[in-house]
Amino acid sequence: MSTLTDLRIAAVGDIHLGPEVRGEYRKRLHGIEDRADVLMLAGDLTRHGTLEEGRLVADELRDLPVTTVAVLGNHDYHSNQQEAIVGVLRDAGVIVLEDDGVVIQCGGTKLGVVGGKGFGGGFAGKCASEFGEPEIKNFVAHTRSIAEAWKVALKEMDADRRVVLSHYSPVKETLHGEPLEIYPFLGSYLLAEAVDTAGAELILHGHAHKGSEKGLTPGGIRVRNVALPVIGKAYAVYCLD
Amino acid sequence: MEAPQYVAARIQQALAEDARTHELGIHVDVRGDQLFLRGQVSGSEQRERLGQVAHETAPDLKVHNEIKVVDVSEPGEDEHLD
Ligand SMILES: [Fe+2]
Ligand SMILES: [Fe+2]
Repeated sequence: MSTLTDLRIAAVGDIHLGPEVRGEYRKRLHGIEDRADVLMLAGDLTRHGTLEEGRLVADELRDLPVTTVAVLGNHDYHSNQQEAIVGVLRDAGVIVLEDDGVVIQCGGTKLGVVGGKGFGGGFAGKCASEFGEPEIKNFVAHTRSIAEAWKVALKEMDADRRVVLSHYSPVKETLHGEPLEIYPFLGSYLLAEAVDTAGAELILHGHAHKGSEKGLTPGGIRVRNVALPVIGKAYAVYCLD
Repeated sequence: MEAPQYVAARIQQALAEDARTHELGIHVDVRGDQLFLRGQVSGSEQRERLGQVAHETAPDLKVHNEIKVVDVSEPGEDEHLD
């Protein structure tokens, strides 16, 4: 049952589109306006991050009947075409977040969405720190600066409800099913810490194809891994009651 | 006050041992006075029974029953986050 104040968020990550499935994903979005108010894409839209794949994704998502928000994933960076991919997505009417935020008017509610790709580093007690070689310092500093940007964006945002959209995971619970050894490459607790500090109702992410759908931050914010192989359908729908 | 990990373990044990449920593999999390149930079951009745048993085991906690009913038909059910 949906009431006037419900916000229905359709979300999916890791659609990894390529030329041989052209048109297929678009078909699965048919009727989305009856099921959701907004569609959020949690990165890894392409396979290799080529501009050709980026154009294909843009065509699949072009001018949907619901507001569409996306972040990129690591695959979308692989060919160093990330800025061009962001450009073609925006030309197709997709809002692309790059460690910043957007406020979407959904009926009488202002829905604030903050996010970006995120990054790794691991989870509290078992994580990398800014120590030693410059490569390690840069790795951790990258995650730290992303987390800081999200925190600022959330705090400065004038919205009724707040949702965070990421590619990497903020918690390890939604990685359950992935090998423990790769957890530091799947996400970072710094992302959760930032969102717990600034406040939000829901964090969506992808990236962990073999992970699990549901988790919680230490502060009690719901986390959902919406990677396509995890949810097993075109998109999941979450209602903020 | 009983540590939340012990409360969660007690609830998990009740879900496994109560004759109404006998459900293993439900993930139980306690955060403050909030209780979260997660996992997958094959019917909505079982999900409701699990919520009931959890509530009876820890009546002071607010139960968020996030257990998912496995649904093969596309596109599945919406999840309400309250
Ligand atoms: Fe992926
Ligand atoms: Fe990824």
